[in-house]
Amino acid sequence: MFVKRFLILAPFLLLLVLLQSYFWVPSYEEQTRGNPGRLEEFITASIGDASLLNPILSADSASSDIQGKVFEGLIDLDENLDYRGRLARSWDISEQAFFYVRPEKPVPEQGAMSPDALLNFLREQVEKSGDYPQPLQESLENIAALSLDSPDKYQASLSLAGQDDPQVFQVEPPDRIVLDLLEVDPELFENLTLLLGEAYFQEFPAFRHVRSESDLDPGQLKAAASKLLPGYEHNPVIVFHLRDQVRFHDGHLFDAQDVKFTYESIVNPRNLSPRVSDYEPVKAVHVLDDLTVKIVYKRLYSPALMTWSIGILPEHLLNRQALDREAESRGKDPDDFFMRDSRFNRSPVGCGPFQFETWESDQYIRLDSFAEYWDGEPNYASYAYRIVPDLLTQEMEFYAGTLDAYSVQPHQVERLKTDPRFQSFSGTSFGYTYIGYNSRREPFDDSRVRRALSLALDVDRIIKYVLYGQGERITGPFVKQTEYYNQDIKPLPYDPEKALQLLARAGWTRNSQGWLEKDGRILQFTLITNTGNDIRKSILAIVQDFWRRIGIKVSTDTLEWSVFIQERVNKLDFDALVLGWNMGIEPDLYQIWHSSQADPHELNFVGFDDPKADALIVDIRQEYDKERQIEACHRLHEIIAREQPYTFLYVSKWTALLDKRIVIKDLDADGEVVYKKIRPTKTGDYSFYFNKWVKRPTVPDFAAE
Amino acid sequence: MFAFLARSFVQKMVTLFFVSIVSFLIIHLAPGKPSQIDPMNPKFTPEVMERFQKEFHLNKPLHQQYLLFYSGLLSGKIVSWKDSRPVLPKIWERFLNSLPLFIVGTILTWTISFPLGIRGAIFRGGWFDRSSTLAAYVLISIPGFFFAYLLIILVVSSLHVPVIGMKTFGLQYSSVLHWIMDHLWHLILPSVLGASAGVAVLSRYVRNQMLEVEGRDYVRTAVAKGLTPDQVHYKHALRNALLPFVTMFGLILPGLIGGSVIIESIFSWPGMGRMAYEAILARDYPVILTVNFISAVLVLTGTFVSDLLYMLVDPRIRL
Repeated sequence: MFVKRFLILAPFLLLLVLLQSYFWVPSYEEQTRGNPGRLEEFITASIGDASLLNPILSADSASSDIQGKVFEGLIDLDENLDYRGRLARSWDISEQAFFYVRPEKPVPEQGAMSPDALLNFLREQVEKSGDYPQPLQESLENIAALSLDSPDKYQASLSLAGQDDPQVFQVEPPDRIVLDLLEVDPELFENLTLLLGEAYFQEFPAFRHVRSESDLDPGQLKAAASKLLPGYEHNPVIVFHLRDQVRFHDGHLFDAQDVKFTYESIVNPRNLSPRVSDYEPVKAVHVLDDLTVKIVYKRLYSPALMTWSIGILPEHLLNRQALDREAESRGKDPDDFFMRDSRFNRSPVGCGPFQFETWESDQYIRLDSFAEYWDGEPNYASYAYRIVPDLLTQEMEFYAGTLDAYSVQPHQVERLKTDPRFQSFSGTSFGYTYIGYNSRREPFDDSRVRRALSLALDVDRIIKYVLYGQGERITGPFVKQTEYYNQDIKPLPYDPEKALQLLARAGWTRNSQGWLEKDGRILQFTLITNTGNDIRKSILAIVQDFWRRIGIKVSTDTLEWSVFIQERVNKLDFDALVLGWNMGIEPDLYQIWHSSQADPHELNFVGFDDPKADALIVDIRQEYDKERQIEACHRLHEIIAREQPYTFLYVSKWTALLDKRIVIKDLDADGEVVYKKIRPTKTGDYSFYFNKWVKRPTVPDFAAE
Repeated sequence: MFAFLARSFVQKMVTLFFVSIVSFLIIHLAPGKPSQIDPMNPKFTPEVMERFQKEFHLNKPLHQQYLLFYSGLLSGKIVSWKDSRPVLPKIWERFLNSLPLFIVGTILTWTISFPLGIRGAIFRGGWFDRSSTLAAYVLISIPGFFFAYLLIILVVSSLHVPVIGMKTFGLQYSSVLHWIMDHLWHLILPSVLGASAGVAVLSRYVRNQMLEVEGRDYVRTAVAKGLTPDQVHYKHALRNALLPFVTMFGLILPGLIGGSVIIESIFSWPGMGRMAYEAILARDYPVILTVNFISAVLVLTGTFVSDLLYMLVDPRIRL
């Protein structure tokens, strides 16, 4: 019977044809089957797509991943997290400082001095090796040159409190003495007061040199003047010596103009660069010659150097003429066409190890190795960045050999870490999760209460059960694997008894129903966090339980992210919250911990306010000497750990899997090719030598090592 | 005959007109805004949003927007808001991607279901009938995404081969044959998944329909005549049981454009269904409305075709 045979045979044959194709497709073990180019390509995946492939316009993680391959900065961090020159061969940090001369002010033992006399007096002090105290002696030895300078008058505008329009001021600065320093010297003016007398710099009468066009009362004028014309200024200077013969992917030579252009693009308000605040302290960028750039800062700001790791843009493709040409060829109005509108952001050109090839939105971005990369062409011929929004799909693609790396979820670590098919790496991340207390509110204004709340939590068990052990205790606000973190501070133990004692000292005792009570009020508050993060949600419930055990009435709430941030955090309307910070390497804590940053919409939303901590925070961002910076960080860490404005919970660990056939290919002393196993750096970064990676057809044997 | 065609055409045009109005209204009444003008999106400043509003004609009254949209659609000039590409070529490209899935899935569904259903009907209550019933209900009740994940995990962890997408990512083929085979391999799981649900439903229909027919006099006559069982069931009985399937067959046409949202999303298959789904998430009105309009056209065409087919298979029906 034909119909019956057809109805049965047709699907059977169809399936047979389909199924036999299995023997043709590459499998994990045989990735080169029908695909010989597979070994030349590194494939990785991301949850989300990149936004703009322009290092100054976007800061999301997918865009940054690609920008890191396509663009190159002046410097970056080496395996020990020290600075390393990239496009810059080397750099010198010096300082130029100046102060305004006050002829009317008598100098101790010298009397009133004219500017010239003062200059000569200071010169003498620098030249003669006087018997001054050590710090002043050092400051004097650090002075390379002194000069006198009469600045021009200028106009400045300033917004005053309570007024909408900025006021215009005429500034007529007096003569000033300019000091060229060999090294940055934050204590210079403090030490010079030994020579010039107390308050020579602090009490500089700026209002005598500033005139306002409108009527201002003397108090207002004084305040505005001291803002416009401080008596002295530190101007740290970085001079970068750039590498010669470095080319962009289009063959154009890289030079100092590109650095200047990159800086100008960032600070150009039309570009709305998210990185603009990093460059606000820059006073000016000077091109000294084709391969030398000088950057002058407005004030002491030690995180400055790291900001030059930003990818350098090619000026010739993005300057005004280039943008005008592009606008014209696309039929747009050149007057309304800026860097954000340029096609460059979807097909970038940099001088990094990989050059841009294609970008299929929501599918993949592909880069090719750049043969003329100054540090040697990467071993991989291409780099593919897939957008795979689903984690399970990512995992499956990794098992099938169409992804080379996979970030393991905490619950899978135990199972996959020892899997013989893969090589695994793990480390601690640069961020931490914490409980923050609103110290403006009762009872969190008492550090004993905050400490008791921390003592009542068994954080080790949270790590064990919520994070499947993939976390570590953290005690303070610095990145744990850096030297800034004070390893001597031990995490608080789980000790509910001691917590109750501390609370009793703060006046909270248990009432007949078991709740803690003080002056007839029960200790109760709300702990909140955002929705969409299951780990934080679990922490919420566990913490609530721990605190209830010692008699604290805690209620919890989860809010949608934008509501959480805009309505509660930014408006400082919360008791306690669970949240996390991601940190950079730089130890600058100004925005999160300085008491001046505690207003609504600022990041010190817990209202941490400690004068000693404030002083240390300012010192840290002004200190250019790493040893002293580390010392200050350790002291700051101690204060924060003692005050417990947060309960620092944990820093999570990450684990990544890599195909075992990926190895480091290098040349030994005789020029022979050698294959080495990939080893992470001290800080856990396993992809540090990515440009030397390559995939082998089989798992290499490292027994010889 | 001609009168029927004309009448039917006019009716369908009127229906289409109402569909276009209703779908246009629903889209605009639905909560949420196109992602380009969403005030919650921190990427967009008020000026940018205003520019988009103007560019998308969102600042005009609804009836003008309606006219602008459909005149754009009919002249083929309408573009997607998401990537500014013309909608029709975009849909065509995605349609070609969905087509192999649709063809393989349809062939499998419309062949396997018949022998399964017929055998179940002949040996009603027997072990085959019971087990196929059980299997059918399991397949109907298991959520599609769950079944898909199970299959993917099973295949990948036992065979270590890629199954996601339309082809192995980054494959630089050493021969045309490898290209074909790789595409065939990636077809299997999604099309079998799609077909499994179809088979489960359709084989139930076939069984019930056959049960109804099997008791009829002409079947008994055929058996009494001494015809082989296959001839009785597959010729005499089946032909008379086919009538309702004609309607169903006409209605698989719209499936062409809807594709399978869930399967295409899970397998990252760049097909129609996934495109429509993503367009809905991004409130990409031109794409949503065009897909909607085309599927309305296909539904109407489908019913029209099945009307004609009726005439063909059942001489008693006169239109």
